[in-house]
Amino acid sequence: MAIIETRRLRKVFRSVKRYPGVGGAIRSLFTREYVEKAAVEDVNLAMQAGELVGYIGPNGAGKSTTIKMLTGILVPTSGEIHVAGLVPYQRRKENARNIGVVFGQRSQLYWDLPLRESFELLRAIYAVPRDRYRSNLTRFSNILALDEFMSTPVRQLSLGQRMRGDFAAAMLHDPKIVYLDEPTIGLDVVAKAAIREFIARINEERGTTVILTTHDLADVERLCRRIVLIDGGRIVFDGPIDRLRDEYGTHRTLVVTMAETCDTLAFPHTELTEQQGNVVHLRFDRRRVTAEQLIRQVTERCTIRDVSIVEPELEDIIRRIYLEGYRTQARASASEPV
Amino acid sequence: MSAVAAYVEFAKKAFAREATYRMEVFTNVGSLVLRIYLMRMVWLALYAQNAAPQGITLRQILTYTVIALLMSLILEIDGTRLIRDKVREGSIATDMMKPISPALYFFSDGLGQTALHAILILPSLGFALLLVRIDVPSGPVLAAFAISFALGYLVNFALNFCMNCIAFWTLETFAMQLIVRWCSDLLSGQIIPLLFFPGVLQRIVLALPFAAIYSTPLLIYIGKISPNDYEGALLVQVGWLFFFALLGAAIWQAAQRRLVVQGG
Repeated sequence: MAIIETRRLRKVFRSVKRYPGVGGAIRSLFTREYVEKAAVEDVNLAMQAGELVGYIGPNGAGKSTTIKMLTGILVPTSGEIHVAGLVPYQRRKENARNIGVVFGQRSQLYWDLPLRESFELLRAIYAVPRDRYRSNLTRFSNILALDEFMSTPVRQLSLGQRMRGDFAAAMLHDPKIVYLDEPTIGLDVVAKAAIREFIARINEERGTTVILTTHDLADVERLCRRIVLIDGGRIVFDGPIDRLRDEYGTHRTLVVTMAETCDTLAFPHTELTEQQGNVVHLRFDRRRVTAEQLIRQVTERCTIRDVSIVEPELEDIIRRIYLEGYRTQARASASEPV
Repeated sequence: MSAVAAYVEFAKKAFAREATYRMEVFTNVGSLVLRIYLMRMVWLALYAQNAAPQGITLRQILTYTVIALLMSLILEIDGTRLIRDKVREGSIATDMMKPISPALYFFSDGLGQTALHAILILPSLGFALLLVRIDVPSGPVLAAFAISFALGYLVNFALNFCMNCIAFWTLETFAMQLIVRWCSDLLSGQIIPLLFFPGVLQRIVLALPFAAIYSTPLLIYIGKISPNDYEGALLVQVGWLFFFALLGAAIWQAAQRRLVVQGG
C-alpha cells in the first residue's frame, strides 16, 4: 500500500480583489470582491515507503500548497488525501508524529535558544526516548558537524549552520516521511554537499520516505530516481528521470569546429543555434536524423577539424517544459512520426 | 505524561527567555511603584470631599489600587500575542506541524512568563508599603480571592486567545486590541471599582465579562463581596471562562479551516 496517496486533490484560495493606485486602495477598503485561484487543481500521487521523490515545478505551480496539505495544516478544497493511513487535516497531531519537515526559508528552531536547547525541546515535544535521542544526536552531529555550534543561539548561526541544525531537528523523532521544501536554497557548495549526503543516508539507512521540493536540479539528479513535475496545479510528468530525458530530450547539439569558413550550414531537421568564429552549434532532432548522418552531411560540404555531441541537460529539458507547457509538447511528439 | 513534559518545557523556556530582558523587568517594578504613587494622590484628592462613596473607605480604595496594580503584573502578560506574531510571519505553520496543541503551547508560554513576573510581586509590594498602608483580610477571604484571581487569569487568557485569533482573518489585530484594551482597563475595574459607576450603568458593567477579570477578585479582597455571595460570584467567573473557552475553540477550528500561511 502506498504510504502517501492523493486523489483529485484540489485547493482553492480566495483573496480580496485589489485595485491599482491610491484610489484603488480606498476602493478595496469598501468593496469586497473576491478572486478565486486554484493553487492545486488536480493532483494524483502515489508514493511507496522508502521512495525518494523530487517534486519540482516553477514558482507558483502548487508545490508548497501540496506539501502543506500533506502535513495537515491546509485543508483541501476537495479530493482525498492519505498519509501513512491517516487523513492529515483530520488527525493533524498524529500525522505530525509520522513526519519531519524542513523549509529552506523558514526555521523550526527556537530563535533565541541555543541549538542544543531547541533539540531538547523537540525531544520533549515528540517524547523521544532518551537513549534514542542521544544516539540520533550523535549520528547527526557526525554527519552534519553540529558540535562546533551546539551552544550558539540560533539567531547567531550562519544560514548553512542553521540548515544543518534544521535537518537534525526534523529527523530527531525518526519520522517515516520527510518533506523537504527547497532545503538547499542559498547554501554554498560545501553545505549543499553535506545536506545531500545527509538526505541520501537517511533514505538508504532508515528507509525514510522523502519528498524533495527544489529549484536546484542538481539536488534532484544526485538524489532522486523518480521525479514528479507539477505545473499550473496539475501533475504533468511522473516517472523516472531517464524517461523524462528520453521523452523530452529529443534534441541534441552537434558542436563542429571548422578548419575553414563554411557558408552552407542549413541541414534538414537541424537548426544553427550558435556560431562563434569557426565553431558552430547545430541543434538536431535525434528522432529524424542521427548524429552519424548529420556529421556525414557536414563533412560533405565543409572541412572539419573536430566534432562533439552535447546531451541536453535536465535543466534545459525542464525549462522547455515550463516554457512551452507539457501538453503542447506531448501533442507535438505524439503527432510526429518517430 | 510525555505530553505534559513538552508543555512544562515550553513554560521553562519562556521563563528563561523573559529573564534575559533584565532591564524590562526592573522598569516594570519602577513603573508600578510610580503608578501606585500617582493613584494615591488622585484618591487622596478625591476623598478630601467625600468620606466613603458606596461605603468604600480611603483605606479600602488604596488597598484596592495596590492589589489591582500587583495583579496587573500578571494579567497584563499576553501569552497569546504569539499567535498574532506567528500568523503574520507565517511561523504558525511550523508549530502546527508538530504534535502539540497550539492553544496549550501559548498557555504554557504565558505561564512561564507569568512565573517570572510573579517574582516581582514581592519587591513591588515592599516598595508599595513604603507609600501606603493596605488591609490584609482573613485567611478564608484570601483563599476566595486566590481562587477568584486564578479564574480571572483564565478568563483573561481565553479572552486574549479569541482576540489574537482574529489575526487569522485580518493579519493585524492592533486596532481591535486597542479598543478591547481601553474597554477592559475601564470596565474590568482595574482603575476604578465598578461600584463607582452609577445605577443602570453599574449593573451593565458588572454583567460584562471584563468584570470577571479584575473586579470580582478585588471586591472579594476588600470585602465588598460578602462570603455569602462568593459562590455566585465565582460561578459567574466560571461561566465566562466556559463561554470564552468554547468561543476560542470555535474560532480556532474556523481559523484552521481558513489558514493561509503567509510568505509561501
